[in-house]
Amino acid sequence: MAVFDGSVLDDARAILARYPDAHQRSAIMPLLYLAQSVEGMVSPDALREIGGLLGITTAEVEAVATFYSMYRLRPTGTHVVNVCTNLACKLRGAEAVYEAAHEAAGIAHGEELSADGLFTVHEEECLGVCDFAPAVQVNFCNHDLVTPARMRELIGELRAGEVPAPARGPAFPSFKAASRALAGLEEVPAS
Amino acid sequence: MTTEARLTRNWGNPEAVGIDGYVAAGGYEALRTAVGMTDADIVEQVKASGLRGRGGAGFPTGMKWGFVPRDTGKPTYVVVNFDESEPGTCNNRELVEREPHRLLEGTAIAALAIGCETAFLYVRGEYLWQSIVLERAVKEAYAKGFLGADVAGSGKRIDVVLHRGAGAYICGEETALLNSLEGLRGQPRLRPPFPAVEGLYASPTVINNVETLMNVPDIIARGADWFREVGTEKSPGTKMVTISGKVERPGNYEIALGTPFRSVLEELGGGMLGGGTLKAWTPGGSSTPMLTAAHIDTALDYESLAAAGSLLGTAAIMVMDETDCVVDCAQRMVAFYAHESCGKCTPCREGSWWATRVLERLEDGYGKPADVPLMHDMGKNTLFRAFCALADGTAAVINSSLQHFAEEYEEHVRLGRCPLREAPVVEVAS
Amino acid sequence: MSSAPSSGGAIGRTKVDLVTLSIDGNEVTVPKGTLIIRAAEQVGVEIPRFCDHPYLAPAGACRQCYVQIEGQPKLATSCTVTVAPGMIVATQNTSEEVREAQVANLEFLLLNHPLDCPVCDRGGECPLQDQALAFGPGESRFTEAKRVYPKPIPMSPLIGLDRERCVLCARCTRFCDEISGDRFLELYARGAGERVSIAAGEDLRSPFSGNVVQICPVGALTATPYRFVARPFDLTSADSVCRHCSAGCNVRVDERRGDVVRVLARDNPEVNDAWICDKGRFAFLHDDAPGRVTTPLVRDHGLEPASFGEALLQVADACRQARVGVLAGGRLLDEDAYALSKLARTVLRTNDLDHRRMAQPLAVDRRAALSAVDRSRAVTYRDLERAPVILVVGLDAEQEVPILHLRLRKAAARGARIVVVHPRVTRLRDVAEHVVCPPGDEARVLGGGVDARLDDALAAVRAAADAAAILAGERPGAAAAALTTAAATGARFAYVTRRAGDRGALAAGVHPTLGPGGRRLDDASARAEIETVWGPVMAADAGRDAIDIVRAAAAHELDVLYLVGVDPLRDVPDAALARRALQNVETVVVQSLELGDLEPFASVFLPAASLLERDGHVSDWEGRSQRVRPLRSPAGISRPDWEIFAGVAAAAGADLGFETLDELHDEMGRLLAPHAATDEPIEPETPAVRDELTLCTYPLLIDEGRMSEGTAELKAALEEPAFAEMHPSDASARGLADGLGARLRTDAGEATVAVRVTEDIAPGTVFVPFNQPGLAANTLLSGAFTAAVTVEAADEPEPAVAAAGGDAA
Repeated sequence: MAVFDGSVLDDARAILARYPDAHQRSAIMPLLYLAQSVEGMVSPDALREIGGLLGITTAEVEAVATFYSMYRLRPTGTHVVNVCTNLACKLRGAEAVYEAAHEAAGIAHGEELSADGLFTVHEEECLGVCDFAPAVQVNFCNHDLVTPARMRELIGELRAGEVPAPARGPAFPSFKAASRALAGLEEVPAS
Repeated sequence: MTTEARLTRNWGNPEAVGIDGYVAAGGYEALRTAVGMTDADIVEQVKASGLRGRGGAGFPTGMKWGFVPRDTGKPTYVVVNFDESEPGTCNNRELVEREPHRLLEGTAIAALAIGCETAFLYVRGEYLWQSIVLERAVKEAYAKGFLGADVAGSGKRIDVVLHRGAGAYICGEETALLNSLEGLRGQPRLRPPFPAVEGLYASPTVINNVETLMNVPDIIARGADWFREVGTEKSPGTKMVTISGKVERPGNYEIALGTPFRSVLEELGGGMLGGGTLKAWTPGGSSTPMLTAAHIDTALDYESLAAAGSLLGTAAIMVMDETDCVVDCAQRMVAFYAHESCGKCTPCREGSWWATRVLERLEDGYGKPADVPLMHDMGKNTLFRAFCALADGTAAVINSSLQHFAEEYEEHVRLGRCPLREAPVVEVAS
Repeated sequence: MSSAPSSGGAIGRTKVDLVTLSIDGNEVTVPKGTLIIRAAEQVGVEIPRFCDHPYLAPAGACRQCYVQIEGQPKLATSCTVTVAPGMIVATQNTSEEVREAQVANLEFLLLNHPLDCPVCDRGGECPLQDQALAFGPGESRFTEAKRVYPKPIPMSPLIGLDRERCVLCARCTRFCDEISGDRFLELYARGAGERVSIAAGEDLRSPFSGNVVQICPVGALTATPYRFVARPFDLTSADSVCRHCSAGCNVRVDERRGDVVRVLARDNPEVNDAWICDKGRFAFLHDDAPGRVTTPLVRDHGLEPASFGEALLQVADACRQARVGVLAGGRLLDEDAYALSKLARTVLRTNDLDHRRMAQPLAVDRRAALSAVDRSRAVTYRDLERAPVILVVGLDAEQEVPILHLRLRKAAARGARIVVVHPRVTRLRDVAEHVVCPPGDEARVLGGGVDARLDDALAAVRAAADAAAILAGERPGAAAAALTTAAATGARFAYVTRRAGDRGALAAGVHPTLGPGGRRLDDASARAEIETVWGPVMAADAGRDAIDIVRAAAAHELDVLYLVGVDPLRDVPDAALARRALQNVETVVVQSLELGDLEPFASVFLPAASLLERDGHVSDWEGRSQRVRPLRSPAGISRPDWEIFAGVAAAAGADLGFETLDELHDEMGRLLAPHAATDEPIEPETPAVRDELTLCTYPLLIDEGRMSEGTAELKAALEEPAFAEMHPSDASARGLADGLGARLRTDAGEATVAVRVTEDIAPGTVFVPFNQPGLAANTLLSGAFTAAVTVEAADEPEPAVAAAGGDAA
């Protein structure tokens, strides 16, 4: 297998072990995150291999993968910038933040990837940070009360190879790293 | 004074995040009590408290637990719905950030109540940090024997599996959540059978909201009567509210059910942002019909809001002022439903998509006279017509905005632009 | 469920509760658990619907089928709600609110629907079109841009998806999930972007794929062979029964200007539910194939056209005082088989008469024949649906009797425990346990102590007694072993052969030892029963079975070989022997639709009418006799087979006794009726012990067989090239790798073919499909369907053969 190889296969087995033996299909979601963490997106190979691991068709896997907005099946930037423009954030100026993100990242509307491959900018639905609107997530790390200027700053820091400190929680340095955490594979020290 | 401090009692105490601080503050006493009770007694106590589901449906929690048959030969499951995605809602997030063990304790008690040995925590994918906080808490709880093979010395096993969602609002709907957890597309299921009888893996299952479960330890430790000391007869206890939008102090606050909106707005939310004028507000997230300044004294409880033509929902109050265009806001809210529609049924899939397009045209100045009666029809043809309640959210936005702001719609058509803008509208990708 | 005493062939009849409710003011009483939409149909009310289908689980997705239930504030979908006593339902006929809701729903459905009617296959038979015309909005209020997709998108060579037309009723994906289990068609994405799709490179490769075209309520899923071909009002149709296997599927054949253009499934809940397989649906070109011959031919130097009179006289002359061997294929209708049986015994004076591909112990054949004439002994599709436990021995249902495969899946979905004993794992793998064993080993395995799961299942069979069912197929040794097990456990038994005409031929006595009705010809009282209707029949010496007939012909021990719908060069499990037989016998009479490879050997050719040109009956594997109706008159001067047999008799100066189909039928009814008959005892067979590998072969569904000829899309979608399937332990011991070439050697011959290594086959067995492009397996056989075989790596590797997943999209 091309994607689920070596240590990644070990990770996959650990994921499968979380769920009852008779219901391994539940593992499909974390397995998709694991694939995403390896390749920066979910590739056709990964879909097929997950199908093989679970004993289901590629179509069944792809049907699930395409249902959710956090699985990326097309080429994606190193960093995924999600800007919420739902009502609470919109009321606090999120649309300008979203515009600033597109401009700073150099991505035209309708495109998904900046020319340098660094950024994908997403308009998001409510991220559950209405108390600190406008809310932005960079690689699923929270940045609160983001203004257009701050948005440009964040993009600049990322472009310079820095990992901006989130408002809460640890920083994940890339979409791949965040995906690995989403697969539940981040080492979680007891606090 | 409108703030109550039950769920938020330890919010000023940063140590309460960790298990030692939580225990020092009295945590896991309820669990120790619960392991000495019978399953039936736990259920009875929660029933007596009158606790209602805090995720929006308001169904009596104890009654839900009581529906679970115990003689099917199949395992029973507790599934925690931490898929909080209703626009305007973020109280679950903060509750877990600050005191994850309270959720674990409530979950464990629910597990004891229905004889469950494996509980699932379904966390929305975007709550990555919060899911890590939970994972740490789960490890701590296992280490201290509050989860695992011998919970609080009872000899009973309760395991917890953390499962992350991947960005789908519909997965907050109970049966869609179950499908998602089973590894299927997150589309809702037909009922009957109900999850209590045939839920996760076709087994009896209880699905509870985070806030609901976080009320349970206190109910066990302090009693049903104590719980009823605050709130109303039919809506006892406290409710987390999130207030956001055009207010000075957006945030999550705990109130007694029955508190009037005015108190929340002015005392907790700090009043309108920059002295603006209240124009419209959602009582319980974008899925609840919006209300106006005329409703400022409405009490925030299930019955009063229903009487006002709306719903308590998730008590996510988003506040709009006189600078906000209702058509524009409605468009953004309906676009949310179009984006999140699972696609299964016709009125939700096609209706929300169509409504988004028409509202866009109206806001951008290309509205036609026929569009307003068309929107009326769309609202009517979407309400209660779909497979699940997601489309009712679309209908709520359309119907309530038309009901209270018909003139604003007409103005868009008459002027050929949004009356609140002079500049062209920036295109919003949908 | 109680197991009822054996009557009416029913396993486990249940008592049914009834519910009375009111629909539009009309009272209707239906079984408890009936959906409102079904109950409405019973009072003639057709509630509009898209996603509802009587054979699929309710979805409640399209929202078109609204009704008002008194006492409920919201409208209800009639396809998801079951009736309750005293329920008062108002449909669109009596409720304005319901009607408006349906119109509104139609408006939503039409939003994104393209104005394709003029170019859409479904036009004229389209529920969306019908409902939009009946009460939809006359003009659209939609002024935005519709969503568009490329069209058509191939789901497979057979199926094209016109995605813009799709109303997302999910009937197709639900069929693939609930019925066929071939989950290659899925719903992708969500919201207005939701779409039916396959995964790239993973075709809808399923022998049941065509059903999704038939159940699609719009023109989204189209059949490539039918795309743009016809309008429904151009078509003439006839109700028939599919001729490709013994499932007995009810079909409707559609013809346009003389050409068959389409075959659809007809509903029959007792037989095929609402389904047919892709072979039945798309392999309909045989009757009009270029090789069809519709005039008699007589050899005079070459084969020359002749009149029936001349041809029949030739046949009669050749058969007079001659040693005649009669081989029938699986194509005969019940009436033809009866006439042939009578012709052979009373006019041709021979018991060298056989239709079977596979000789079986008499007990098996007799049991099958008796259950055809006495339906109380039969196992039916319904019995399988209700059985708590089913053993399937020596049968690959998906490939051999596909709709039986679907019925077994249905039984499993209802909780039946199914265990398959077969050399290869079958496509029931996700719903049944499989015990693989080499052919011939079934008796040992079923004897117990070999596989714990099977032993457990056998205990369940014993406990269920005649509520359990044991199905046996044509793998050598399987039926005998299975019948033994049935006798020992009290389970019901059915012998399932592949071809459509098999059961009718067996019941009629196209058999060396059994006469009509399963009567033993060597039993005096049984012969007496036959003779009361037929007059004197010849002596009771057992005749030769099929392979012995061929051997006798090759050894100059027969004068005439009368071939009725059979091509020995392709069908006999010994190609060289068949060739010698045809060369050595004096006279070869070919009665068929075509000559094909028999041309050099035929002395007389008698043109038979095809199934589409016939009135009559066909019996399925259950023994159920079903009527077929002609679509057209016999082509050229071809005649129904039974008429030809009567003509042979007349030319020989005899009278077969019937001049019309009705007369034949009346006579048949006298002999093919229940009669006092006991089963033969079954002797368990001793399996041959093999040290070497055993070659096992049977035909796959889509192969080079004559009846699949001409259907390019069907073959592109489903036909596999020849291969040899082996277990890893056997392959690695011989240095063989998956995809590389191997040389197979048997006593009869040798062949080089690509190897497939898989765990899904019994060690010690090599499976080679009977007739795929690249290898006719009967060139490796010496008279039986198994053979000892050696396998070694070929010198030049074969190009890698695509595995079972099939070709690239």
